Amino acid sequence: MSKKKGFMRTLFSYITYKEKKPKKQFYIPEIDNEDTKSEEQKNTTMKREGQKNRGLKKPVPVSESGKENKPVYEKADDEKISVNIEENIKYIKLKFNSPVNKDIVIRELMVAKKYKAFIAYIDGMVDRITINNFILRALMVNDVKFHEDTDDKCKLDFILSNILQTNQAKKVESSDDFMYEILSGNTLLYVDGCDFYITNETKGYDKRGVEKPLIEGVVIGPQEAFNENLRTNITLIRKLIKNNNLTTEFVKVGNVNKQLCAIVSIKGITNPAIVEEVKRRLKNIKSDMVLGDGILEQFIEDNPYSIVPTILSTERPDRTASHIMEGKVAIFTEGAPFAKIVPVTLPSLMHSPEDSYMRWPYGTLIRLIRFLAAFIATLLPGIYVAITSFHQEMIPTELLIAIAKSKENVPFPTLVEVVLMELSFELIREAGIRIPGIIGNTLGIIGALILGQAAVQANIVSPVLIIVVSVTGLGNFAIPNYSLALSARVSRFCFIILGALLGFYGISIGIAFYIILITNIKSFGVPFFAPIAPKTKESTDLFFRKPVWQQMYRPDYVNALKQKRQDKISRQWMKEEPKYSYERDEEDD
Amino acid sequence: MTNERKFGTAEAVYLTTLVIASKAFYTSIRVMIKITGTAAWYMTIVSCLTSIIFFLLISLVMKRFPGKNLVEIFELVTGRFFGKILTLVFSAYFVYYAGSSLREFLEMIKAYNLPYTPPSLIIFAFMAVVVVLAYIGLEGMVRFASVIFYPVLIGIALILFLAYPYYNVRAIFPIGGYGIAETLKSGFFRSSAYDEVIILAFIINSIDGVKKFRKVGVLSLFISGIVFTSNCLCNIMAFDYTMSSENVSDLFQLARVIYFSRFFQRIESIFLFIWILASLITVGLAFYIAISSFCKAFKISNHRPLILQFAFLTFMVTLLPEGLIQLAKTNIVVLREYSMILVYGIPVLILFISVIFGKRGDSKCLKSVK
Repeated sequence: MSKKKGFMRTLFSYITYKEKKPKKQFYIPEIDNEDTKSEEQKNTTMKREGQKNRGLKKPVPVSESGKENKPVYEKADDEKISVNIEENIKYIKLKFNSPVNKDIVIRELMVAKKYKAFIAYIDGMVDRITINNFILRALMVNDVKFHEDTDDKCKLDFILSNILQTNQAKKVESSDDFMYEILSGNTLLYVDGCDFYITNETKGYDKRGVEKPLIEGVVIGPQEAFNENLRTNITLIRKLIKNNNLTTEFVKVGNVNKQLCAIVSIKGITNPAIVEEVKRRLKNIKSDMVLGDGILEQFIEDNPYSIVPTILSTERPDRTASHIMEGKVAIFTEGAPFAKIVPVTLPSLMHSPEDSYMRWPYGTLIRLIRFLAAFIATLLPGIYVAITSFHQEMIPTELLIAIAKSKENVPFPTLVEVVLMELSFELIREAGIRIPGIIGNTLGIIGALILGQAAVQANIVSPVLIIVVSVTGLGNFAIPNYSLALSARVSRFCFIILGALLGFYGISIGIAFYIILITNIKSFGVPFFAPIAPKTKESTDLFFRKPVWQQMYRPDYVNALKQKRQDKISRQWMKEEPKYSYERDEEDD
Repeated sequence: MTNERKFGTAEAVYLTTLVIASKAFYTSIRVMIKITGTAAWYMTIVSCLTSIIFFLLISLVMKRFPGKNLVEIFELVTGRFFGKILTLVFSAYFVYYAGSSLREFLEMIKAYNLPYTPPSLIIFAFMAVVVVLAYIGLEGMVRFASVIFYPVLIGIALILFLAYPYYNVRAIFPIGGYGIAETLKSGFFRSSAYDEVIILAFIINSIDGVKKFRKVGVLSLFISGIVFTSNCLCNIMAFDYTMSSENVSDLFQLARVIYFSRFFQRIESIFLFIWILASLITVGLAFYIAISSFCKAFKISNHRPLILQFAFLTFMVTLLPEGLIQLAKTNIVVLREYSMILVYGIPVLILFISVIFGKRGDSKCLKSVK
């Protein structure tokens, strides 16, 4: 009986779920972390480890190694600013790792020959002329003024309102704030006996000028692009949108580098929910590594696994301004020459600012060509592989003979040929970006002669394929958004494989998969394939571009507070009689 | 249910029309021409009208129980036990439908395009997308249908237009076909070919109201009717009724004969794209409705854990017929000629029961189930 029971149990064990026994696995031991372990715990742990491994040398935490040399710090701390100048100097030195760190400059001085004070700034980040002429000189020379007001206990208030000649100066009372001010290139001023600091606007680091767009070039339209300076970028937008409701909000992102981001929108047009959502996402990034707009994008996008970008990146102030005017939100990051626009849809990624600057027939034509280019860039090599491998009947006989002749001496199957050429092309492109400008011509020789002519002559690839790959490359360059062009590059390889495996059937399956993916992702709550799927109010600016004066409404999907962009008859002058300053004679015609 | 949100009238029309009309790519037209000869093109109008009448009857059921889908109505009218059984019958029917449609598609594509490719690879690739569609849910399917609707319709129109040099109007005579009685009888039973419209009754909560439900259903049937009629007419004119009844897929055959110059011939492979996309939506939606109705019957909140199991069942159904002949003789006949007995019959029966027993979608009626 018991034997039978045992057998049944074994039988059940095959079909029932059993919790796995925990198995000891190898792991790399952690280094003592200040945040997680208390000092006491650490000591006991180390002691125990020391007892076990007497022969090994114990690792000593960095904080303990410098314990002996650590300056004694009494009152000034992260919560409270001391009223003693010595303590404040010590505190700042400690925080900025001085004297090891040579960037921080603390200049002690006597204000009006009787008050001890110091200024602190980071060398290289500040404008020295401003400091010399409008802070130091003002403080040290204006001693006559100080005699007027002798009752005031803390001189900094008096200095702030009477002495300092900098355009922006304000009080700061927390250590986080004053450190951020110093790090931003401002100058900190402290006078003995006060429990706050004053920061002065002295930013003076080097920056690039406003130059021509490098990535989003246009023939017609403004020829200026953003640079790496946040203030300049916002000014470029303000230059285009002269509206008092254009609002800029700042958010600091990241734990270590405190990247300053600006959120720009128009109050009264932009749906406040989008602005709030942007702020919420930015504020909730808990990472040390938020270095630029590209990294920021990855932190805030809705679908990080999607193959297509869901945030529009542009270096053009005019494009950014037009999106802001449509009710979208622009995000700027300090140090990045790009604006991030949210929310966006796939059709808007395919648009170029040039479309709007041109008359509508030209704009529509170039837009349609761009859509065709995207189609070619994604599908052409895959279709070529599919046709030559599965659907030869589609090729007209003469062309088929030509292709067969050219392929006669090529030893590889079409798939290998295509992958070989595509990879070579990708190499050229990647090398073209990385290559120093001075040897740029060499790349053209390698690309055109070796990979084109020579590859054909050596019977590695057929001439038809060279045409296919070249046209594909051209199509890829015509996609106006760099990230979208990259997604076309990635998906092209998938379509080549599908085409080689299953012909048109495989490509159709791939297309279906692609459509499913892109119709089911969102950009800040907006379906990415709007206004096609889901169908929203008819857009006048989708595939075909209607004349600007007929584009009455903002895009429906952004739910702008003010949907109407212009009057139904925006060309009001059409309704009026022309006013001539002279009477027209019949002979004038 | 996950992702069964509301969508617009247009989207619902796209979805239903694609599901009904995609069979124009398969053997449907051949069978119609075989049964009724030259009268096939208006026989399908009879089918369409019959379907519209049945659909309007079903809409009466939906009207009696506002805010309830068919699964809930089954339970309200016949009680929990029989309601569940009826729902499971529909669930099984949709699995059978999905599997048979997939098999039909497989046979067509093997006959015309991929004769040397292993069927398992074709099925696997197809089912992968169907599973993704079901995983994303109804909303995703609707969006997919919205994107492909116009390309599919334009593709069909292009085939019909480009083949015009072959059209001979005299081929539609004798216009009576094999007799008016045969036409009407076949027309009535072939209304099964339009019975996918019942899917709307399962997703009525996403369509927002009986009025829209009726509008969507009638519009979908109307557009599908036009597609079938024009297809039949063009095929009879191009191939005559004798040859048309022998082609495996008439629409594909029509695409094959298109010839405008040496550089514009044998372009049927291009139309593979629309054919496959339409088939994906047909199988995908049937597959999803099978899972969805099963989940609704057993109050399962998330359909996703059941996808793989149902995929396995569908795969089994796909493998059931031995070949194209058996598929055409059993599965397709069941689906296109007799399924109306089940699909229209049960809801109409429910209507009668609810009228006789005076059941309505009010709180009293709800209490009887709870």
